[in-house]
Amino acid sequence: MASEPCYLLLDTLTMKHIWTNVELFWQGAVLSYRALFAWLNPATFLASMIIMPLGQIMFFTLLGIFATGAQNASFFLIGNAMQITAASGIFGVTMAIGGERWGGTLMYLFGAPANRLAVFTGRAAIHILNGMFEVLMGLAWGWLLGWVDFSHTDPFALGLTILIATFSTAAFGLLLGCFGLLTLNIMLVNNFVYFLLLLFSGANVPISALPSWMQYISWMLPLTRGIAAAREIVGGANLAQVAGLLAGEFLVGAVYLTAGYLLFRFFEIEAKRRGTLEAF
Amino acid sequence: MLLKYTRAAIAAFKFNFLSLVTDSFFLFTTLLMPLIYAVIAFGILRDKGANYGIYIAIGSGMAGLWSTLLFGSGNAITSERWTGTLEMLAATPTPLWIIVFGKTLGVIAQSLLSMVASYILGSLLFGYPLTIAQPFAFGAALIVGILAFLAFGLILAPAFLLNPQIQQFQNAMEYPVYILCGFLFPIALLPFWTTPLSYVLSPYWTARTLQGAADGTLTLDQFALNSAMVLVLGVIYFFIATLLFRWVLFKTRVDATLGLQ
Repeated sequence: MASEPCYLLLDTLTMKHIWTNVELFWQGAVLSYRALFAWLNPATFLASMIIMPLGQIMFFTLLGIFATGAQNASFFLIGNAMQITAASGIFGVTMAIGGERWGGTLMYLFGAPANRLAVFTGRAAIHILNGMFEVLMGLAWGWLLGWVDFSHTDPFALGLTILIATFSTAAFGLLLGCFGLLTLNIMLVNNFVYFLLLLFSGANVPISALPSWMQYISWMLPLTRGIAAAREIVGGANLAQVAGLLAGEFLVGAVYLTAGYLLFRFFEIEAKRRGTLEAF
Repeated sequence: MLLKYTRAAIAAFKFNFLSLVTDSFFLFTTLLMPLIYAVIAFGILRDKGANYGIYIAIGSGMAGLWSTLLFGSGNAITSERWTGTLEMLAATPTPLWIIVFGKTLGVIAQSLLSMVASYILGSLLFGYPLTIAQPFAFGAALIVGILAFLAFGLILAPAFLLNPQIQQFQNAMEYPVYILCGFLFPIALLPFWTTPLSYVLSPYWTARTLQGAADGTLTLDQFALNSAMVLVLGVIYFFIATLLFRWVLFKTRVDATLGLQ
């Protein structure tokens, strides 16, 4: 029968193991963001993460106003403000994974005994924060221009919606990032997916207005439920009323995260088996 | 000499066009992106009626044309620096702007595909009537507009080379031009102080003429005014481009710093 000191030792070792992985997660997040995020220098960050998304919001909101009237500006503003999280979630996260291959550090990453889940998921952590910043910036921009009224909005519910939508987009980005380990044309894939999200997520065209085959695709993608929930919350809905949408959005993100992690592990095992870690 | 420069421009056009049609990023920018914009615009403007079909086809085609010009012309000389061939190009007897002219022509030839693709999409997928009411005016406006685009491309190439900070703003330059030039909605929606900015951009006048010619509302006076503006702006762009190219050659031959990143 094990003595009490043995349980204490086991608890200590487990706590130490958990803390090590937390440190690994966070250090990997910070280092991958600083080293692999190609848009981190001030000019490119300003252009790609601030001006470009705000330009997109203005373009589609003005188009929506032209098409349906100024009373519908908030529909397009909220949709595009939520969608611009994909700039971090898709582009940023795929750079954080694919960049290891371009930087020639993939073999060191896969050669280390570090917990793979901590390493993998850590890549998306700071991009989730980045994405949330972008959404808040977009919503603030719309409020300044008078396109949206937040007087009936539950801020906690909206914040949670933004967090979950950003998480699911970043999880999708993790899955796409794994393809960056396979193909040289990952920026083509990223751009294509980013624009498809503009179309399928309901950011600009109501899901109900899309053909049924497109609606199936929409509900399988991140952001669709998050955008719908954000619109309802800004319209005055409380958290309980959008709980179903948020749960669905979180589940979509969890599925993409799991698929991305399994693909990541599969690539590692296959690359080691074939000796093609650094092959192009 | 004219024949020699023409031959050099055609060679630059041929090589750049052939390399761009195999570049997946440019194929995306030229073909897929305008198509996606067109589908979104068709979805947003669905209640405006079938008359807007040609408007959307033109607008999304122009958007694709601008994006392709921005990245294609903008990188025309910078890409030579990346591959270490810039100094050799600058040292050849053929003026550098002739080579960039040929490369920009290749970019525009590819980007015209985006207009054709948007047009076909609108017709086949959405069944919108896409007849052009004034085809001669449309064709003439397109030709004049392309010349102005060429001149604008001649500004972008040296500007991005001389100041890499400007090139970092490439991603941010797409939507402002879409908005200010009224590709998919009239500039009347914008604040009054943005109107002068629209007026100094030749794509605005080109889009106005093409949209008017397509729906048959273009008068002779409007055609003359719009075309004159495009030509005047094209000449101004060309003049600015010559100054920039002189500065590029100065940096190459006197400073010897142009090959440095």
